[in-house]
Amino acid sequence: MPEKRITIKATRYDPEKDEKPHLQSYEIPFYDESMVVLDALNYIKSDVDGSLSYRWSCRMGICGSCGMMVNGTPKLTCNAFLRDYWPQAIVVEPLNNFPIIRDLVIDMEDFMHKLKSIKPWIIRKQEIPLGAGEHRQTNEQIDDFRQFSQCINCMLCYAACPVYGLNDEFLGPAAIALARRYNLDSRDQGLKQRLPVIGDSEGVWECSFVGECSVVCPKGVDPAKAIQQTKLDTTMRFVLPYGNRE
Amino acid sequence: MSTGARQRPALMHLYWWFLFSQGGVIAALLIPVHVLIQGILGPLGVVRVVDRHYDTWVQVLGNPIVKLYLLVLIAVPFFHFAHRLRYLLVDFGMPVARTVPAQAVFYGGAVVVTLLTIWVLLTTAPLSLP
Amino acid sequence: MTAEPLPSPQRGEGQGEGRGYLWRMPAGWWTRKRHYFLYVVREFTALPLALWLLWLLVEIKRAGDGPARYSPHGSTAFVVFSVIVLLFALYHSVTFLSLTGVIIRVKLFDRPLPSGLISLAMFVLWAVASVVIGFVLIWFGR
Repeated sequence: MPEKRITIKATRYDPEKDEKPHLQSYEIPFYDESMVVLDALNYIKSDVDGSLSYRWSCRMGICGSCGMMVNGTPKLTCNAFLRDYWPQAIVVEPLNNFPIIRDLVIDMEDFMHKLKSIKPWIIRKQEIPLGAGEHRQTNEQIDDFRQFSQCINCMLCYAACPVYGLNDEFLGPAAIALARRYNLDSRDQGLKQRLPVIGDSEGVWECSFVGECSVVCPKGVDPAKAIQQTKLDTTMRFVLPYGNRE
Repeated sequence: MSTGARQRPALMHLYWWFLFSQGGVIAALLIPVHVLIQGILGPLGVVRVVDRHYDTWVQVLGNPIVKLYLLVLIAVPFFHFAHRLRYLLVDFGMPVARTVPAQAVFYGGAVVVTLLTIWVLLTTAPLSLP
Repeated sequence: MTAEPLPSPQRGEGQGEGRGYLWRMPAGWWTRKRHYFLYVVREFTALPLALWLLWLLVEIKRAGDGPARYSPHGSTAFVVFSVIVLLFALYHSVTFLSLTGVIIRVKLFDRPLPSGLISLAMFVLWAVASVVIGFVLIWFGR
């Protein structure tokens, strides 16, 4: 049986040698129907061209490391099956909207900074005394924020968001969804501390509800929903006569 | 990390978004039927519509509730349009549309339309209580 | 908590200044994906709707012309314009009212209502409002 093959076109960029990124073609064996794009990249690196650089870790869709553009769509490469593209060539590029450090590796400093800026931890006005035991939560209370807690920080949403692509000061989908995760957590009392960041001119108001972030999210977080709900909650707080304006 | 932070959200953006959302609801609920009847069925003569004839149009326009309705129908959606079109310019690669002068032009335009609408409603078809 | 703009790696600021091949948004980005294109169409609906409402304002103003000179718009061009506007208006209504289901969170007996139900309620409201207004426009034209 003739060996099945597939062509991968991957972005190459060496900041010390190249003026700009360019695609390099690799033709590799497609030896198993379960192969994903990450398998193809690993094969290239181990058998064809050891200089290819990219991030990956768990290879099972939970660490969020291997996000790249696959034929123009942000995807986790461990979750993009070659069989869905074969026999067409697959173009693998670094995530859109981020600076490229090398090959398929992007600079994620801005993303990390933004996550931190919304204080992604339980904030209490007063800690409950140790003797009182743990915080109790019903299933319904956890359901309130559960969806928004599923984020694996893979940055596909930032790659998909044209607002972020046009303006990197925009806080972005993952950061706002994470802020909402904490604001909705019954144990948290930190909404007022997060409000200046999420309600900033570069916060939720920049979002024009394109919705592509939620389309590409591999974990069903629905950051677009988080952002729109935040807009509404924040607005009601300041517009309603009995709203809390602090 | 800066400590000189704003204590409140950017209130102007909050209010623009509020007007945008209210205007969007009004535009979504009310505009299609007006376009269908006053823009298509009426002119084609399929039904007799109130604005096709002077006396029926003037009579209904004299009603203060109708004047209020028309003010809401026309003016509020313009804040929705202003917001959407301003951000559409941003999407097309014109970051100048995010600046304060641009906000003044777009939302100021909606205010102008509001004032114009009030003027037209007050000066056309004298108020007549039903 | 910060009021200053965050350092922008895209402008070569921040840790590792100047590092990275900077990203530039392609001019026709919204033509490259169907979803982006439909988003731009949705935003664009604001323009035809605004123009039609301005027409309505003119129609109201014309009532001040007096009975002899009153002449409502009725040309073929106007009807064609209205048909195009209607298509945009319907697109705005359908997209906007569906999305309200996403944004409005209502709880009944501690359980959130499904978003589909909220959107449905908005569509019902749309239908009722249209019937009522349509009735008024026609009834007072007889």
